[in-house]
Amino acid sequence: MSQHISLREAEQKVFASAFADGLWDIMIGCVFLMFAVAPFLSRSLGDFWSSAVFVPFWALAYLATWVIRKYVVRPRVGVVRFGPWRKARLTRFSIAMLAVFTIAFVLGIFSALRFGTVPAWVHTASFSLIVLSTFSLTATFLRFTWLYIYGALIALSPLVGEWLYLHSSAPHHGYPVTFGVSTGVPLFVGLAKLIHLVHSHPISNHESHPEEAAGG
Amino acid sequence: MAENHIDETLRALVDIDQVIHAPARLTVLTYLYVVESADFRFLKNVTGLTWGNLSSHVSKLEEAGYVAVEKEFRGKKPHTMLHLTDEGRAAFRAYKQSMQQVLDDLPD
Repeated sequence: MSQHISLREAEQKVFASAFADGLWDIMIGCVFLMFAVAPFLSRSLGDFWSSAVFVPFWALAYLATWVIRKYVVRPRVGVVRFGPWRKARLTRFSIAMLAVFTIAFVLGIFSALRFGTVPAWVHTASFSLIVLSTFSLTATFLRFTWLYIYGALIALSPLVGEWLYLHSSAPHHGYPVTFGVSTGVPLFVGLAKLIHLVHSHPISNHESHPEEAAGG
Repeated sequence: MAENHIDETLRALVDIDQVIHAPARLTVLTYLYVVESADFRFLKNVTGLTWGNLSSHVSKLEEAGYVAVEKEFRGKKPHTMLHLTDEGRAAFRAYKQSMQQVLDDLPD
């Protein structure tokens, strides 16, 4: 036997395979797409509504991923329920995320209350730091390395955008360009994963399915 | 007498659970050991077995009392989930332990 068999690795493989459909990548892209599109809407809708309009868009995106998972992905990859080890790990992950979001919420309130007195770069840096922390925590806990890349891309977007704005007067602080690129990557990767999954896991009626025979 | 001595030395090898020892069944059991439950399609994808192979190995594991098959309904469609029984979990642990013991004692 040349290869070490690890039960932990087998479990991780099973867990990762449940997220290989690309739907989470698409959802991440949809969430941060707001920052690329909202600046164009702010002139007609105002600052608040140009962002608020994305809440129903996110709800629709979530509903679409749910429908795709149920009717396209599950019939192809099957169903798995994870064991107590993974459930405990996900609980620890939820607690860590709750802590990050609480800090982000407090920082958000503080920033809103003293908006005029705090320099703009502090808001930008705080946003980048929170995004980077959230993605890094998720990547570490779930051992999904590609989330480090998404986190870095999205965290860099406002910083690069501000730099573009200062040095080349890019419109809307450069956000449509930088967030367009950083959300385009997960959207493209997600779609590619989904198309690959659909092609590599066809539902064939010719195969004899054992479910009818199993268990009487 | 010498033969008895050899048998006794390799007792752990002789005692290895043959139901688990087949590579395909060992793969199925390994995946079921690390999750709570999974359906046939998921196991087929992760193990790379054909429907026929998977079905026959699952039947053997079910006969041995290591795997339980549960029918549930998703909407109006029947759906079959598989999980390790307590006996199956204990047998897998015992198998792992005895294999470790046998392999650890082998000279390099």
